[in-house]
Amino acid sequence: MIDTIIFNDIIHGLFVLILGTAALIINQRSLTSLFNIYAAQSLILAVMAIVLFIEYGTLNLLFIAILTLAVKTIFIPLFLHKVLKRISVKRDLQFMFLSPASSILISAILIFVVYLFFTNIAGDLFADRLILLVGVIGIALALMGMMVIFSRKRVITKTVGYLTMENGVLLFSLFMAEMPFIIEILIVLDLLMIIVLSAVLAFGIDSGMEEFHKKLNRLGIWIED
Amino acid sequence: MRTTGKTSRRIALFIMLSGLACITTTALICFFSGTDCNLLLYALTPELLFNIHLDRLAAFFTALIGLVAFCCVIYSLNYIEHGGSEKGRHILTALLPLFILSMIMVVASDNMFGFLFFWEIMSISSFFLVMYNREKVETQKAGIFYFVMTQFSTLFLFIAFLLIYRYTGTFDIGYTEALPQVVKSFAFMALVIGFGTKAGLIPFHKWLPYAHSAAPSNISALMSGVMLKVAIYGLCRFAFDVLQPELWWGFVLLAFGTVSAVLGVIYALKEHDLKKLLAYHSIENIGIIVIGLGLYVIFNHYGLQTAANLSMVGALFHTLNHAVFKSLLFMTAGSVVQATGTRNIEEMGGLVKKMPVTAILFLIGSCAISALPPLNGFASEIMIFQAYLGSFELNNPVVEIVMVIGLAAFALMSALAAACFVKAFGIVFLAKPRSREAGKATEVSLGMLAGPAILALTCVVLGVFSFQIIKGIGFDLPVPNMLPVSILLLLIILVFAGLLKLFHVPVRTGETWGCGIQKQTPVMEYTATGFSEPIVTIFRLIFRTKKSNDKEYFDSAESITKRTEAKITTFKFFEERIYMPLANFFMKLAAFISQKHNKDVETFILYAFVTIVLLLVTAGLWL
Amino acid sequence: MNWNMILYTVLNTAFVLLFAPLLVSLIKKVKAMCQGRRGTPLLQTYFQLFKLFKKEIIYSDNSSFIMRISPYLNIAFLLVASIFIPIVFIPAQESGFGNIILFLYLMVCARFFMALSGLDAGSTFGGMGSSREMTIASIIEPTTLMACAAIAFILKTTNIPEMFGTVLDGSILQYPTLFLVPSSLFIILIVETARVPVDNPETHLELTMVHEAMILEQSGPKLALMELSYGIKQLILMALLINILFPWGMATDATAAGILISIASFIVKALILAVVMGVFESFFAKIRFFRLPDFFMIAFFLSFATIVFELLS
Repeated sequence: MIDTIIFNDIIHGLFVLILGTAALIINQRSLTSLFNIYAAQSLILAVMAIVLFIEYGTLNLLFIAILTLAVKTIFIPLFLHKVLKRISVKRDLQFMFLSPASSILISAILIFVVYLFFTNIAGDLFADRLILLVGVIGIALALMGMMVIFSRKRVITKTVGYLTMENGVLLFSLFMAEMPFIIEILIVLDLLMIIVLSAVLAFGIDSGMEEFHKKLNRLGIWIED
Repeated sequence: MRTTGKTSRRIALFIMLSGLACITTTALICFFSGTDCNLLLYALTPELLFNIHLDRLAAFFTALIGLVAFCCVIYSLNYIEHGGSEKGRHILTALLPLFILSMIMVVASDNMFGFLFFWEIMSISSFFLVMYNREKVETQKAGIFYFVMTQFSTLFLFIAFLLIYRYTGTFDIGYTEALPQVVKSFAFMALVIGFGTKAGLIPFHKWLPYAHSAAPSNISALMSGVMLKVAIYGLCRFAFDVLQPELWWGFVLLAFGTVSAVLGVIYALKEHDLKKLLAYHSIENIGIIVIGLGLYVIFNHYGLQTAANLSMVGALFHTLNHAVFKSLLFMTAGSVVQATGTRNIEEMGGLVKKMPVTAILFLIGSCAISALPPLNGFASEIMIFQAYLGSFELNNPVVEIVMVIGLAAFALMSALAAACFVKAFGIVFLAKPRSREAGKATEVSLGMLAGPAILALTCVVLGVFSFQIIKGIGFDLPVPNMLPVSILLLLIILVFAGLLKLFHVPVRTGETWGCGIQKQTPVMEYTATGFSEPIVTIFRLIFRTKKSNDKEYFDSAESITKRTEAKITTFKFFEERIYMPLANFFMKLAAFISQKHNKDVETFILYAFVTIVLLLVTAGLWL
Repeated sequence: MNWNMILYTVLNTAFVLLFAPLLVSLIKKVKAMCQGRRGTPLLQTYFQLFKLFKKEIIYSDNSSFIMRISPYLNIAFLLVASIFIPIVFIPAQESGFGNIILFLYLMVCARFFMALSGLDAGSTFGGMGSSREMTIASIIEPTTLMACAAIAFILKTTNIPEMFGTVLDGSILQYPTLFLVPSSLFIILIVETARVPVDNPETHLELTMVHEAMILEQSGPKLALMELSYGIKQLILMALLINILFPWGMATDATAAGILISIASFIVKALILAVVMGVFESFFAKIRFFRLPDFFMIAFFLSFATIVFELLS
């Protein structure tokens, strides 16, 4: 369909853009831009799914593209913006364990380490270079999302980190042949996300984790020492 | 009495100068003509020889030592006369030729015994030279630390050499394949630790700043410029010539080199003692040389001959360049320290008007060490850069990515070195003096200017004519030709200066703009601490400066203060985590053993009795 | 030195000297229009330079020979660096000119002497400017080298005229990863020319001064030389960015028609890039100084990702 070289370039370009958005998420201090960057990231994923659909023709890909577009690019960011209007917090300035510059340095090294891991563990499995690259980027994206979760204090930023992790898994799944199993995993992850979000909404999304524990303490569910 | 002392020292130094000139010329002839020079001096036993064998590598290093020592001796003609007692000066003049000769003999030796013999003489004579100002406590500590570390390095050299002897059966230095794999690796690590300690690789570097700043400046110039290079010669000779290098050795060298380079310059940024700053830069440059050596091993293994040649020639060229500009810097720093009476750069300033020639020489040295074209520091660093960029011909992505990370670290180190020397030159020489002593400084005598001047000229020549020199040695490498660039630069400067002179632009002097302040005082100038503060803040994870602020209050609402205490402490990583625990462990061991010594006669006889019985038992079982 | 090289040197340098001030004014005018003003006329920088050349030079009492020679050194280093970037036509190969590392280090030289002259007058402004400038330079250096390494890896050469020639000969589609480099190159351009969001080139307040602080004490024709060298630096970095990505129109030999087409196409591309830079500057506020490493890290990360992709495919 499309010339292979151009297809490869487009995919590579989209990969770099995704990594760029992930790096920006790690760096962001303003919550509104955080949601916009997340929306951009999901948009790029949708575009990638469409490109793959044009190339390979699997209908599943089209559904995933439309689903991602609807839910992750439009609905979730809109919802988060609405939540943001209700709470007083507009910025997230505190960093635990890792400063933004060192997180990015570590992510760069992580990509390299994940690549080494993949070539050593399953060298023959990844005969197609593209699949290897996708595997590396997907896991790197998930790890970067995890870095956001442990290095920030505000729960709302942690949710965006979690959503990034999920995007990484989605990216990984876009290139795999075995679809149904992956869809199951995705559904489970979405369920988890719904549970976390609802719990957070119940107790206040502008709190940090300590206040969360204090509130649980008051309800008698969490015993503090 | 004083005049005859001075004259006799002068005569001794002049004899040294002529001797060094002869040695340098011989070495250069050997190097350029490609003939080897062989001489047996004395055979202690048929195995343990003192001999001289100058092949191209040894001749190169001998010429390097000769050139730098020549200029240091010219500098010492007047430098020795300042400070210290008459007896001390005599001892300094007596030990100086011993030190220089031992270094030359180490490089020229063809026998491992001779090598170690002269290595020890070099270490011991330099120890005595470092302890020149032994009345000061810090010099004593520096000297003892240096002595311990040098014995530590000799220990590892002994291990490596004895291993090689065990498998080759001879003490002669020559290529051998007789060592099995495991032993070879062990010997290599022992060589790296031994030579690395003497060269100043991190983590064995801690003695370097203390020793080089406590020693008198001509000795620091010799130690930093030449002695570290002797260690590099040893590494080159034994790891590449005697043993055949493996691939992982290249990565080990690359790792040590990169860490030394980056950490060396980062620690240098915080220093405000002029000589400690220069010492940390020596660590950084030794890191660059070791990076070059590591790259050579890696490229050689993958068969990329051009890149391998580039890295090796670059590393050796950088050895020469570093010797030249580091001695230049140390000597001019010595002039400055002697003129102002202090080593702290926060107390200097405005020296460019009081000591103009020294300022220009220091400027040339700073430009050379910051790798600014067209001087020699840039000529060798660009070879290493080209070698790194040549790694795209490798087909192993993992190794290529490691190279890219190394390249990024190398670039960072290079830029930080430039920043550090802007600080060093700017705070020491420019603007107004920050203390009364600095205001009273005067230009030093001709001898102390002539030595560094020769080295400055060498810097410029080596840089501008680098392409021609490399071609002349016989290597065809993709190095840029600096000669047209330099000529063009000179031309443009002259054109614009000429234009402005032509238009008779009026010139006058006035007061510095201070935003309306009446009078500019030295307090308003930027301090060295302030200059390096942004970089120190950005790299605060490496410096780990701890700022603690304890407050005690009378009441629970924390509104009436009883007592506060503020402390800023720097975290000296290597000292607190590695050196001191090891030293404490050995102190405890020594205390334990010496406790066992303080018993009475009966216990000693008991020990002897037990040992004899054990020997009888084991001998009976074994033999 | 053959005639081709001499002709190239003269033409390239003349073009750079003449065109650089125009770009400076154009970016100012674009920023002004984004702010709703009319802005200064496009030839304003030329008028400014002429005015400065006619004024007298005032040296500070504290200054030394550094202050007197650093403008000459600045312009010399930058003009020699400008010879490395072919704009009028790609010259026949000469072994001294064109190495990308030498090009970068010539600019480092210019910056070194500018920083020294900042410390020379003994004012706090100059010291602060020098300190910040050297810090920013150190932090951006790994990113710059990583971007240059990416270009060198992709185009398999370290010689700049050769790079332009390679991209000109092949089609851009042969080097697709080259499209990932411009973001890093653009950020490097912003940093080296001291533009928002790194530094504000239009104010003289301590809070936003880095580059301007160092040249505060210069006056008269010396100040004109410093301003001119700033313009030259901007032009040659823009030329590097443009000619790596879109070199079409550039002549490979010294014919009159070819040279005219090269110059015309370059002027068009440079004007477009200047407008883009002006708009980019108007969109952002200056980043806090200690947040700059985070910003540079993103550029570093992107270059690193580009290299990794290039190597893995």
